[in-house]
Amino acid sequence: MFRAERGISRRELAEAVGVNNQTIGYLERGDYKPSLELALKIARHFGVAVEMLFSLERFEPIAMTLMRTGDDQ
Amino acid sequence: MKPRRRSILSMLDDSVRWTGMPARVAEQMTDDPDRKRRPLRWTPILPIAFSCALLIVSLAWPPMVDGMGMGVITGVGVAFWGAIFGMMPGIHANGPLGKSSLEDDEREAALRKDSFVCCLGVLAALNCLGQPLLIVLSHWQDWPFAQVVSVVTTAFMLNAALLGCLPTLYASWNLGHLPKE
Repeated sequence: MFRAERGISRRELAEAVGVNNQTIGYLERGDYKPSLELALKIARHFGVAVEMLFSLERFEPIAMTLMRTGDDQ
Repeated sequence: MKPRRRSILSMLDDSVRWTGMPARVAEQMTDDPDRKRRPLRWTPILPIAFSCALLIVSLAWPPMVDGMGMGVITGVGVAFWGAIFGMMPGIHANGPLGKSSLEDDEREAALRKDSFVCCLGVLAALNCLGQPLLIVLSHWQDWPFAQVVSVVTTAFMLNAALLGCLPTLYASWNLGHLPKE
């Protein structure tokens, strides 16, 4: 999601952080848990804190976040 | 112009290329981040099944082994190990493309390690159970020397087939389908 929002392809991100682009695919699908080093590299590439991208809990679905934001406004 | 006669070696090269394996190895050994580890979910079952069948034949039908003669077993064994040793210099010494190792990233390295740990666990368990069982069977049924040799040879081939193919099977079945971007 974060990657798509920024218009970066799997291949570009994979090259930037030094992994195979299949690894990015499995990461995004939740089938692979990255090492701390890889998580930090990805966060640095996007210029955000690592907690923005990885969490111990499941991220809330986007629809829920949008609904909640709408209610707050 | 008269076409040049092709040598047996060039025909053998063509037959190897025809299997698609050289292209697959080149794909695996590339540094390209787009490289894909394509799963081999069924092919590795063939050598395991073949080795199992040989072991079962040498255990269950010893007259057949005697009838066929040790030549067949020895021939299959020599062909099998000849192929393995023939491949070793290419794969282990320099790598098929002059590289000493695959360019694994952390996920691929972890999957490779898990595959070999699983395979070695299975092999250890099978051998812990199988070896005493075969020793007891050979004394109990008073196997002739030819049968002992054929069982040992085929058990060795099964071990080699499992060592070569189980990690691939494990990794292939653990690689989920990834849709294109």
